[in-house]
Amino acid sequence: MNTVSPSAVQYVGGGMQDELVESRRQQPLEQQGSFSLRLPQTPDPSREATGEPDEMDKLKAKLMSAWNNVKYGWTVKSKTSFNKMSPVTLLGHSYLLNSEDEVERFRLAFVSRIWLTYRREFPQLEGSTWTTDCGWGCMLRSGQMLLAQGLLVHLMPRDWAWPDAQQLTDVDFEVFRPRSPARAGGVPIPSFGSPRGSNTPEKSLSDQAPKCSQKQRPESVRDRQAEPIHHNLVTWFGDQPPAPFGLHQLVEIGKGSGKKAGDWYGPSIVAHILRKAVAKTSVLHNLAVYVAQDCTVYKEDVVHLCDLSLSQTPPDPSSQAWKSVIILVPVRLGGEALNPSYIECVKNILKLDCCIGIIGGKPKHSLYFIGFQDEQLLYLDPHYSQPVVDFSQVNFSLESFHCSSPKKMPFNRMDPSCTIGFYAKNKKDFESLCSAVGVALSSTKEKYPIFTFVEGQGQDYGLEGHCSNHSGPAAHILPPGKLGRSNSRRISDEFVFL
Amino acid sequence: MPPFDKTQVQSKPFKQRKSFATRKQEVAGIRSKFPNKIPVIIERYAREKYLPPLDKTKFLVPHELTMTQFVTIIRNRMSLLPSQAFYLLINGGGMASMSLTMAQVYRDHQDQDGFLYMTYASQEMFGG
Repeated sequence: MNTVSPSAVQYVGGGMQDELVESRRQQPLEQQGSFSLRLPQTPDPSREATGEPDEMDKLKAKLMSAWNNVKYGWTVKSKTSFNKMSPVTLLGHSYLLNSEDEVERFRLAFVSRIWLTYRREFPQLEGSTWTTDCGWGCMLRSGQMLLAQGLLVHLMPRDWAWPDAQQLTDVDFEVFRPRSPARAGGVPIPSFGSPRGSNTPEKSLSDQAPKCSQKQRPESVRDRQAEPIHHNLVTWFGDQPPAPFGLHQLVEIGKGSGKKAGDWYGPSIVAHILRKAVAKTSVLHNLAVYVAQDCTVYKEDVVHLCDLSLSQTPPDPSSQAWKSVIILVPVRLGGEALNPSYIECVKNILKLDCCIGIIGGKPKHSLYFIGFQDEQLLYLDPHYSQPVVDFSQVNFSLESFHCSSPKKMPFNRMDPSCTIGFYAKNKKDFESLCSAVGVALSSTKEKYPIFTFVEGQGQDYGLEGHCSNHSGPAAHILPPGKLGRSNSRRISDEFVFL
Repeated sequence: MPPFDKTQVQSKPFKQRKSFATRKQEVAGIRSKFPNKIPVIIERYAREKYLPPLDKTKFLVPHELTMTQFVTIIRNRMSLLPSQAFYLLINGGGMASMSLTMAQVYRDHQDQDGFLYMTYASQEMFGG
């Protein structure tokens, strides 16, 4: 009874006919599944994680896992095709996938990103009965991935790659020659990295890659040494209440914005939740998060956040102390659909070294965008249900926190609501960020940039005078259900003078 | 008589409530009286679920007002918190740069009837 899924209600709110039907179909199964996880023999959630389920439970869990993977839109079998003739951009780096070296560099760059997905069987979220975020937490997961990327840049060596990065799966590298009818269908040429590609004349990468990656990367010793930080970083996103950026903590912080476990979240709310989570934690001292309001980054506000000499008494301008900063810019790139004139600009942003990705998605379905190729965005998808990982075990496996199958979707399916993320390590970085982003924003045909950097502080922009207007004439918000038709008609026919 | 349904009134956009000729006439009238003001129509995005409706749709705005100031005024009228997402979309699709003045936006985006049309929206939620 306590497992009736509020997500069903959300689907109704969303009003999509097919999803409505789907949620009705799913409900009984979901209830059943949740009950089975809470059978009386393991009433204590902490024991539940370590307890040994019997065969029936194991089977049920397997079925549930398979079901969840279908249910939450993860397409298991479909392969992603990459054009070998045009570059792939991934977080400020570009890869032309026509050689094994480049594919290898791309593999390391992609698989080293931290992937955070739906989890199940975690300790109950306080004030609710939820022990999973399947079906509602995808935007929080995308937000976690964005923050995790910021932390990788913040804490790990430059261009760090995970030494144990898996081989790529479900990818094809093809030559697209749109003008040549013979090849129009995109005939797979050699299938690098595909486990099934070994019967092609060229050697499959999966046979060679581990060896050559060790040979080719002089940084691999350095990267190996950074593994304890990598492990530590992942534990901060663990699905348990004390983890500073775990789901429990984020949901708790979200309560301040009127959200609760089981609700759907938006990219702007998540930006503010991340800001508060970083401000609150004691695991990071040298990092701040700035969230832009009304598509404007007030540079002096960022300086106030970062320049520690300003907060010293008396202020010491000679002090070099400067916090690193993650700048988050929530935007809306159109009404119902993405305004196509912004696509070029989104591409320019993803080409920047200082960009740490974009959280957004397809309508109702959150994704973390990290790059693009031609007219398609490259993303990490949180819609994959995995069991919770027990971090108390030394050397827990990091495998479920990295994704080996890159996915793409067309730009025109991108939901206009998103939050763009940037990172600047120090003052100099921040200054070059401002100019680089400024160039990226203004170098497109679109006349108006999607957001702007402005000197000064938000409060300088003379809004106090106008704010006082507010206390003047009666409230201009329609009191719910109060106004009669004639009354409202009359009011709306008048002009309001500003 | 059925109870008053406010969403019905709200959902019919200004452009559909009045003919082109009427709208044009209205602009001509107000512009002759107030040549230093820009006539702006602000309506709620049809699928908006989080921001409150405004009881007025027609605004007369000074030329020199910047988009930032304009957005702040509307935000205050709705009593929004600074962290609440609020976007003004011009002609339903694009965002205007916040540093522009209303005169600049009007010059580039006024409708043929002489009004400047804006839609306000927050952000979509994701979850499925």
